[in-house]
Amino acid sequence: MFLRRIYQFLMIYFIGLGVLLLLKYGLNLSNYVIPGLSEIYSTGTTEFARYFNDVVNTLSVAIIGQIVAVCMALFVGIIGRQATWFGSFVKVAAYNIQAYPIVALAPIIFILLGDGFISRLLIAAMICYFPLLLSIIGIMSEPITDVEHFYNVTGKMRWQLEVKIRSFENLNKLTTVITGSATLAMAGTIVAEFIAANAGIGYSIRIALYQSSLSKILAALFVIGITLSVYQGLLEWSGAVIKKGWASSGGPT
Amino acid sequence: MVLECHNISFKYPQSENDVFHNLSYKISEPGFNALFGPSGIGKTSFAKIITGMIRDYKGTINDEGLSTLLYTYNLERLPDWSSIGTHLKKIIPSDKNNQKEKLIDLFGINEIMGQRFSQLSLGQKNRINLIRYLLQDFDLLIMDESLANVDEITREKIILNIKKMFPEKFFLYISHNIIEVSKFCKEILVFRSTHKKPQTVSVNGQNLQLDEKIEKELLEKTMLEIMNVS
Repeated sequence: MFLRRIYQFLMIYFIGLGVLLLLKYGLNLSNYVIPGLSEIYSTGTTEFARYFNDVVNTLSVAIIGQIVAVCMALFVGIIGRQATWFGSFVKVAAYNIQAYPIVALAPIIFILLGDGFISRLLIAAMICYFPLLLSIIGIMSEPITDVEHFYNVTGKMRWQLEVKIRSFENLNKLTTVITGSATLAMAGTIVAEFIAANAGIGYSIRIALYQSSLSKILAALFVIGITLSVYQGLLEWSGAVIKKGWASSGGPT
Repeated sequence: MVLECHNISFKYPQSENDVFHNLSYKISEPGFNALFGPSGIGKTSFAKIITGMIRDYKGTINDEGLSTLLYTYNLERLPDWSSIGTHLKKIIPSDKNNQKEKLIDLFGINEIMGQRFSQLSLGQKNRINLIRYLLQDFDLLIMDESLANVDEITREKIILNIKKMFPEKFFLYISHNIIEVSKFCKEILVFRSTHKKPQTVSVNGQNLQLDEKIEKELLEKTMLEIMNVS
């Protein structure tokens, strides 16, 4: 899984780099606009350690933000699954609120909470929360009739069992959604750092932008891509391990 | 105890035609009865009306003395997160353990207790599903094609033993197998197409019991009667 994700990223990265170099040589652009391969390589090797630390910093915020978002989405999704007026209200509210771009709220968050850890965390969590919520509400509100019928008619159904049945039947979907939300959490954190924070890879990209250093930006993108690929691979692997364990060992009771 | 349905009419939302119109039906004694008819004629809808799963119908149902009415069908699944044995242990009351062991033996599924539901054949799945229903508290159990994909000999063994083990319970068996309903059921409610009046006709079956032998002529007579009214 890790290797597949890394291969995919490397392919996309080098195709993008190739297009840039084609533009550079095709249009005879200067090194100031698009640096040459040797400059990109030397900047990459020089900045790799610093950017790697920045990416780890950003990723740690993104991971915490994602965990917060998953917990919130599960909580609201479980409440919103019910066919009661409150469940419908939660569902409608979720669909409507998610239509508003969270990034637009980022400046307000920075003004109120400053440019530290909490602002980055909040923006990361909010950016991946709504897509997660919509998927989880969708999964939790869809009855698995063939399995649930027995428990419903014999009066043995409890909400915990209902959630367990629906989660188990949709484990692949849930894993995909959570893995996908990692990219959103990372993007949210980088955007937050880019807008106003004082740490992380988004902040370093902002500095590189002020210096008009495309080679630094390309080096930062490389480190972000590799790190995110490994993290997503880890999430996919964890999902597969959970499913295998759940299906073969008797699972949680 | 009695199940009495008076003038039941039902049509699906957004449909102009009734699935059935003014259907009346009565069972006043425990035993094995059947609903028989071609696919899509309304047997399952009628079963769901009886068990309260469909409520927007016209007419009245009197189920005096029948406190628990269950409906089971052949596509039901058990959750796949643990073995069949573990599931049955959790959902069947411990005071019915002896009955459980007996049914598992009679249904011929001893060796699959350690397996997951998804690993079983369709016939095994249906037998497991039926066992868990038989061991719940119920007064009437509607079995909608519950023994589909089970071989004929095992099916006969299962039905005869259910009748012997649960003589005080009401059963409504939905099947497309004319021999089966004629042979094992007390009364067969035959559903006919909507343009025929009356839409349902009751036929007496042979109601075979365990260790009894059936007379071929009588069975053929019942089958012919069903064919004629269908």
